[in-house]
Amino acid sequence: MEIIALLIFCLFLAVFLGVVAHDLYKAKKTNTPFRVKNCIAGILMIAPAVILCFLFILLPMLFSLGYAFTDYNQMRPDEVHFVGFNNFKEIFKEIGSGGDMLYAIKNTAIFVVGVVPLQILLALGLALFCSRKVRGSSIFKVCFFAPVVISLTVTSYLWLTILDPSEDGLFNMLLGAFGIPQQQFLKDPKTAMLWVVLISAWQGCGYQMLIFISGLTNIREDLYEAAKLDGANAWQRFIRITVPGLKSSVLYITITVFIGACRIMVQPMLMIGPYSEGLTLSYYMFLQGTDYGLVGKSSAIALLMTIFIGLVTFVQKKVLSKK
Amino acid sequence: MISVKKVFKIIGVAACAALVISGLPGWISLSKQNEEQGGNTVVSVMFHVSSSSKEGQAYKKCVDAFNEAYKDKKIKATASYTPRTDGSSAYETALISMKLENKLPDIITFDSPKCSYYAANGYLYNINNMVADIKDEFYESSLNYYNGDIYGLPIQESSAGFYYNKTLFRNAGISDKEISEYGDETPWTYAEFSSVCERLKSVCEKAAVNMNFGGTADETTPYLLYPFIYASGGEFASEDGRTVTGYLDSEDTVSAFYFFKSLLSNGYTTDQVDANDFYNGKVGMYLSSGWTIADLRNKNYSAFPSGSNWGLLPYPCDVPGCAASATGSWSFGITQNHHSDKSAARELLKWLVNDESSATITEHTGMISAKKSVNEGRYEKGSPEEMLFTQLANTGRARPTMVGYSVFSTTFNQIVHELPRTDNLEKFISEKTAILQETINKY
Repeated sequence: MEIIALLIFCLFLAVFLGVVAHDLYKAKKTNTPFRVKNCIAGILMIAPAVILCFLFILLPMLFSLGYAFTDYNQMRPDEVHFVGFNNFKEIFKEIGSGGDMLYAIKNTAIFVVGVVPLQILLALGLALFCSRKVRGSSIFKVCFFAPVVISLTVTSYLWLTILDPSEDGLFNMLLGAFGIPQQQFLKDPKTAMLWVVLISAWQGCGYQMLIFISGLTNIREDLYEAAKLDGANAWQRFIRITVPGLKSSVLYITITVFIGACRIMVQPMLMIGPYSEGLTLSYYMFLQGTDYGLVGKSSAIALLMTIFIGLVTFVQKKVLSKK
Repeated sequence: MISVKKVFKIIGVAACAALVISGLPGWISLSKQNEEQGGNTVVSVMFHVSSSSKEGQAYKKCVDAFNEAYKDKKIKATASYTPRTDGSSAYETALISMKLENKLPDIITFDSPKCSYYAANGYLYNINNMVADIKDEFYESSLNYYNGDIYGLPIQESSAGFYYNKTLFRNAGISDKEISEYGDETPWTYAEFSSVCERLKSVCEKAAVNMNFGGTADETTPYLLYPFIYASGGEFASEDGRTVTGYLDSEDTVSAFYFFKSLLSNGYTTDQVDANDFYNGKVGMYLSSGWTIADLRNKNYSAFPSGSNWGLLPYPCDVPGCAASATGSWSFGITQNHHSDKSAARELLKWLVNDESSATITEHTGMISAKKSVNEGRYEKGSPEEMLFTQLANTGRARPTMVGYSVFSTTFNQIVHELPRTDNLEKFISEKTAILQETINKY
C-alpha cells in the first residue's frame, strides 16, 4: 500500500516539477528577471494547495478507484485481493432483486428531480427580491443566507422537532389549530423524502441566491430602460433580458446543485434512517464502507456514482451551453 | 535574478526541513517510549470512554491501583481513552489504524456482540487457557465466545425491563397482587402482557406501552427487543454466527415480529411514543435499560414526584423454558499485537476484572457488575436493581455474536421499522435475511 502511494506521489511530483521546470525555462528564455521572480512566487504560492489537493483529493480518489476492484475489508486492510468486476456484478444483482441499492437509487432520483429545480427557482426568486433597490434588502439577504452557514446536523435536528409526528410537534400543533388531523411527515414513507427535498432546498438556496445576485448586477441597466421605452412588460423584460443575462450563472448553479443533490446523505441519515424511504446512494455507500467495513463494494458504488454524475454533467453542460 | 539552480536548492532545503519537522514527533514519542520501558514491562490498555467520564475515572483508579501493586514486579500499565461517538466511528477507526501500524494496545474494550467480528479479523487473542481459573466467576451468558473459545471478559452487565407507572396500573384495575405474579422466576406470558396492555389502553393518553419501535436506527432497539425472539422460541443465527438463513427467517422468529405487530395493530403501542411520554404519565409501561432507574429516582419527573410511584417488570415469555432477557455490555479482551509474551497483559486483565476493580467500576457507573461475587447481597430485596440482577442471573441471554453484527443490527432495525407498514412480514424478513446472509458471506 505504502509503495503504491509512494509511486503515485513520485509520478505526481514528476509531473508537477516538469510543469515548474517548463515554466521556469520559458520565463528564463524571455530574459526578464521580473518574469522569473513572478514565476517562482506563483509556484511557491500554489505548492501548498497542490500538495493538499494531492493528499486529500487525488490520492484517495485513485485508491478508491483501485479498491472498487478488490474485496477490501476495513478490518483486514492487509488482506486485499483483486476480484475483478465482482463488486459491480453484486451491485447490479442487488438492483435487479429489489434490494436496498434499488431504494437508494430511487430515493436519490426523487431527491435530485425535486431539489434541483426547486432550489434554483427559490434562489432566483430570492435573488430578484433582494436585488430590488429598497431599504432593508441587505437584512433579507442575511436572513436568506443564514441557513447556509448552519450545520446540516443542527438544521436536521431543528426540523425533526418541528416535524415531530406526535401532537407535540410544532407543525402538528399548527395543523391542529385549524382542525387538520395529525400528520406523520418524516415517518410517512410516501412523504418522507419530499420533506427532505423541501428542507434541503430551504437550507441550500441562500448560497445560489448570492450567485444570482452577482449575475443580476452584471446585467446592464440601460437594457431594461430601453425595453421599457419599447413597451416591454415586466415578464417580457425578465424573459428577454434577465434570463439570457443569467445564463452562465444558471449553468454553474445547475451543475453544482445537481452534483450536491446526487451526494445527499446527512439529512436522510439523521431525519429518516437506513430504511426503504431514507436510503440514498451516498448513505448506502457510507453504510457499506464505514459501518459494515466493506470498502471494496463501497468504492465500486462511488465509482459508478462518479461516472453517472460525470456523464450527466457533461450532457447538462452541452445542452445549457447551446445558444 | 535568481537562477534555476538556486530555486532547486531552495526546494531541496525546504524538503529536508519538512522531513525533519514531520519526523520529529515520531522520534520524540519513540524516545519517550524507550525511556518508559527502562526496567519496566509496559502493558497498554485502551478504553472506549473519556477519562473525565464516571466510567473513565473508575478505569483510571483501577489502572493506578494496578501500577501501585505491580511496582515491585516491574510491570507498568499505560491507559489511553478514545471515546466512541457512536456504534462504529472514532473508537473502531482508532483500532483499525493501530492494527495497520502494528501498534494495537495489549488490552482493548469492545462491545460484546462484536466479539466474533474482532476475533475473526485477528484483533482479539484467544484467552481460553488464561482465564480458565476465573471464568466461573462471571455469568455464563456474559462471556465472549468465538468458535467455542473465550476471547473476552465482561466489564459490567446491563439488563432491561418494563418500567411501569403505579397510578396508571391502579386506574386500569391491575392490582399489586397481580403484578407480583409477573415475577422473573416464572415469567409472565405474552397473553398476560397483552391483557395488561388492553386494560392500560383505556387509561393511557398516548399508548399502553413504549416498545421503542420508533427509536433511532442505532443499537438501542435491537438491544431492547432481541430477547422477545428467544422468548418466542426463535433464533438469529447459527452457533458460529455465519448462517442466518433458516434462523432469522424461521417460523418462531417471525412469530415474535408478528407479536410486535399485534401490539401495534391492537393499539397498545405506536412508533411515535418516546421516553418523555412515560415520564409525563402518558404511557403506562416503558421498555428500557437499567440506566433509567437513576433517571426516575433523581430527575423528579411529573409522573414520578420524588422519584417514586413506579416499578419494574421483567421480560414476558411465550414458549415455556425459553425465557430471555437482555444482557451484555462492553468487555475486555487481549489483542493479537506485536507482543508475543502475553503474561503482563494477562496480569492486567485479571486485575481489571478482579472483585475490587469490578466493585469500583460498578460504584462509578451504577450498572450491575459482571462478577457474581460483587453482586451478592448488594441489592435490597424487592428493589428494581434486585429484579434486574435476578432476571439477568435466571434468564439473561446474550445477543447473537456474528462476524457481520453491524449489518445484522441495521437489518433488525429495518424489520422493526417496517412493522406498521408491511402485512406480509414473512416475505419482508425472508428478503432481508437473504441480503444479510450474502453480506455475512463476505466477512
